[in-house]
Amino acid sequence: MALEIKKTFDKENDRWVIKPNGEIDIYTSPEFKEVLLDLIEESETDIVINGENLDYIDSTGLGVLISGLKKLKEKERNIIIINIKKNINKLLDITGLNKVFIVKECK
Amino acid sequence: MNDNNNKDHIKLSLPNKPEFVSVARLTASSIASRIGFNIEDIEDIKVAIGEACTNAIQHSSLNESDSYEIEFILDIDKLIIYIRDEGNGKCKKDIKTPNVEELKESGLGLFIIKTLMDEVKCISCEDKGTEIRMVKRIEVGV
Repeated sequence: MALEIKKTFDKENDRWVIKPNGEIDIYTSPEFKEVLLDLIEESETDIVINGENLDYIDSTGLGVLISGLKKLKEKERNIIIINIKKNINKLLDITGLNKVFIVKECK
Repeated sequence: MNDNNNKDHIKLSLPNKPEFVSVARLTASSIASRIGFNIEDIEDIKVAIGEACTNAIQHSSLNESDSYEIEFILDIDKLIIYIRDEGNGKCKKDIKTPNVEELKESGLGLFIIKTLMDEVKCISCEDKGTEIRMVKRIEVGV
């Protein structure tokens, strides 16, 4: 399977955590979009993307994150990206998106 | 451009379907590794080709039975890649730096390709399709 998405609620910090496992590309980004936007619809908290097991993301995946962030900003909430791999950090860096999302604890 | 003389060629034809973009990425990684690129450059090539294929599919005729073509030309000091589709030919000529304040969901793909590759040329012909030519040079002694 190319992409598996786990979501858990982090009670301690009062926020949802999404952990994508695999690759987010033009094939799998619709699934990622559905999970992320549904969660944003239902919840009033910040959303953490734990990139520990995310091997690859392309511009369609970054587009999903951007549309998620736009919706969260309406609720004055944020997307926090943690534990991302070096190759993905490079993409956030060259597109300037590392200044748009809160990016923490890179590997 | 004379890219053809006495060089190894590899051609791949893929259906306009998102599920096969990973095939292009894997093929590109394998070719780049074969001709001696370092790991970071292989990753750059993989990302660039993924974006070019995504672009081809998104600007395609929306007919999934159509296909697009990828050609790899293996040179001593560089890898040349062509991606040709038969879509609407609406590939933008000027590749702009994304404005992060605007937060647009699309338009990042070509910019990413341009940043990661050494040369990028995008030729679009309305209703005839788009050809992206991109080159990555092998850095020697790094």
